[in-house]
Amino acid sequence: MTPQPLLMKPNSIKTRFAYGFLRALNSLNKNKPSSPSSPKVIFRRCRMIKLAADASMASAVGSRRAWSRAVLCKIRCQRALAMRGRIRSGGFRRRSGAGKGFGVGQTDGLRKLVPGGGAMDLCCLLDETAHYIKCLTTQVQVMRNIVDICST
Amino acid sequence: MDMGGTDHFQQEKRNEDLRNYHSTNLSSDWPIGGSNLTNSSMGSIPTTNPMAVCKGDVMESPSCSSGPSFCPTTVWDHPTNTQNLGFSDINLQSSAGASNTLGFRKGPLSIERTLDMGWAPQNSTVKGGMFLPTGPGMIPQSLSQFPSDSGFIERAARFSCFGGGNFGDMMNPFSIPESMNPYARGASSVMQRMQEVFVGHGLKSVSSGQSQKNEVNMVEASKDVSMSVELGATEGSPLKNERKSESILRSHDEAKLGVGVSGNDSDEAEFSGGGGGGEEPSSSKAVGLKKRKRSSQDNETTKDNTEIQRKGDQTPTSTTNKPSGKHGKQGSQASDSPKEEYIHVRARRGQATNSHSLAERVRREKISERMKLLQDIVPGCSKVTGKAVMLDEIINYVQSLQRQVEFLSMKLATVNPRLDFNVEGLLAKDILQSRAGPSCTLGYSPDMTMPFPSLLPSQPGLTQTGLPGMSNSLDALQRSLNSQLAAMSGGYKEPTQVPNMWGEDELHNVVQMGFNSSAPLDSQDLTGSTPPEHMKVEL
Repeated sequence: MTPQPLLMKPNSIKTRFAYGFLRALNSLNKNKPSSPSSPKVIFRRCRMIKLAADASMASAVGSRRAWSRAVLCKIRCQRALAMRGRIRSGGFRRRSGAGKGFGVGQTDGLRKLVPGGGAMDLCCLLDETAHYIKCLTTQVQVMRNIVDICST
Repeated sequence: MDMGGTDHFQQEKRNEDLRNYHSTNLSSDWPIGGSNLTNSSMGSIPTTNPMAVCKGDVMESPSCSSGPSFCPTTVWDHPTNTQNLGFSDINLQSSAGASNTLGFRKGPLSIERTLDMGWAPQNSTVKGGMFLPTGPGMIPQSLSQFPSDSGFIERAARFSCFGGGNFGDMMNPFSIPESMNPYARGASSVMQRMQEVFVGHGLKSVSSGQSQKNEVNMVEASKDVSMSVELGATEGSPLKNERKSESILRSHDEAKLGVGVSGNDSDEAEFSGGGGGGEEPSSSKAVGLKKRKRSSQDNETTKDNTEIQRKGDQTPTSTTNKPSGKHGKQGSQASDSPKEEYIHVRARRGQATNSHSLAERVRREKISERMKLLQDIVPGCSKVTGKAVMLDEIINYVQSLQRQVEFLSMKLATVNPRLDFNVEGLLAKDILQSRAGPSCTLGYSPDMTMPFPSLLPSQPGLTQTGLPGMSNSLDALQRSLNSQLAAMSGGYKEPTQVPNMWGEDELHNVVQMGFNSSAPLDSQDLTGSTPPEHMKVEL
């Protein structure tokens, strides 16, 4: 049960994200223990997992980064909306609108991709993008490993 | 005493409401003075004192209206007042505890009251005319307040509390020149002491009427007088110092009074209120409401003051305390202020030295640094030259990563039921493997194979039907990373498409469309996450 201390840093973003994400997944599974059959249920579940991944990633990073702050704020807003009973049909606005920025300019495209990038200057944007990319890669790694372990 | 206490509270409230201490004090002084005069004339001083107090309190409510009615009495008292002035002058000039005590002893309450009575009207009527020539004139005013009652005493305390600074304010309506102020202050401080002493006398005489306490009060009064003398000596200092010292002295007096009275809770409360006013001259409005806090504060202050008295160093400590704190704050602020960041930029030869161009250059340098950092992070970006292309690469990479997260979450959604069993165990394994796992994002194809067999039993038909479309998607997969992701998203739709709505033609279009089409599709592709991988594995 206890992770081997040799291979992990206890306070790295990756471990924090992994713990947070697994916890969120666990709670999601507890909430919906029944095996999903219909695609709608699975889709909703997928969205929830994605949201959980984003939230755990942002919370692992903390509030020192602008993009994590933006993600946390957005998730909070979405949660507030969900508490009111509104169900959002669309996916993440950030992602659905990702491809539109190409024609306008590269920086605009990047702004739309990086959460919270709309209000940054280019210098900050690049900084945040670098950090965001790092975090995304770790997120992808962790999630892939989780999928790997779960599926076997 | 209780009456006095209640009246005092009411008066405090009134004062708080009106906030015009001058008007209230003067008006209140008049009625009291009138009552006192009548009392003195009657000769029944001790018995009528409480009555006079009550009257004064009652009269105080219509303060403005009552003022003029008493004016004639004040005029009538003028000769006595002048005499009183002379007496007060003597006291002040002598500034010895003996003289004050003598005054007290002679006519413990009546004489003082008469004096007060006479003065209050004079002040109101003359309005500074009397004050300007004679500083002692100020004293009778305060005295007039003193004899009135505990309520008046508190007022007097406030008066005095405010008085240090308020005297200046008081003086302003009276049009007294500033040069007079120090003298007036000294007088006011002395008067305050006197007032307090008188108050102590009045309270004790009324409450207990015991001679012993009076004697104690007398001793205290002498101390107070000495204190006041010291204050007068130190009055050359600015207003604030005077206020503080006065407040402290008041607290001293109050502490003494509290010691002397000690049995009367109401008196203590009143004194505490007065002490609060003394401590916080600016916020004297809320004195009545916040008596408890102030009482506690007053206790502390009184203790401190008693200690200070024993030491004999009253004024210097009082004056230095608050200023020292202010200085400390200022020093801290001063220390904080110099912390400012300076960016040293040097222009080379031929470069513009304009501040804007310098800032622009700094910004460009920063951006190039960040771009280099990003170049290291984003795979395949090191070869690219040109920022625009690099930005494109970065955008593509970020998009691909986001897609991957989406895709993995989808996979987790389908796989999840198994996750219930071993989440706890996963915590250990997962992190370890994630650390040891493939660092490159492209290596997901081996991972992808894993979920497939598990899903096959659940969706056998879907995968088989999806095969033809998958081949098309596979072509797209081989193009590039980004196209791979797009194809994956397109490939997912095949299984869903078979049961639901999507056609193969649309699939082709989707694959060819690439990212733009995949973005809207993301929300709709659900169950088929595994089939494309399966296809990939097979191919």
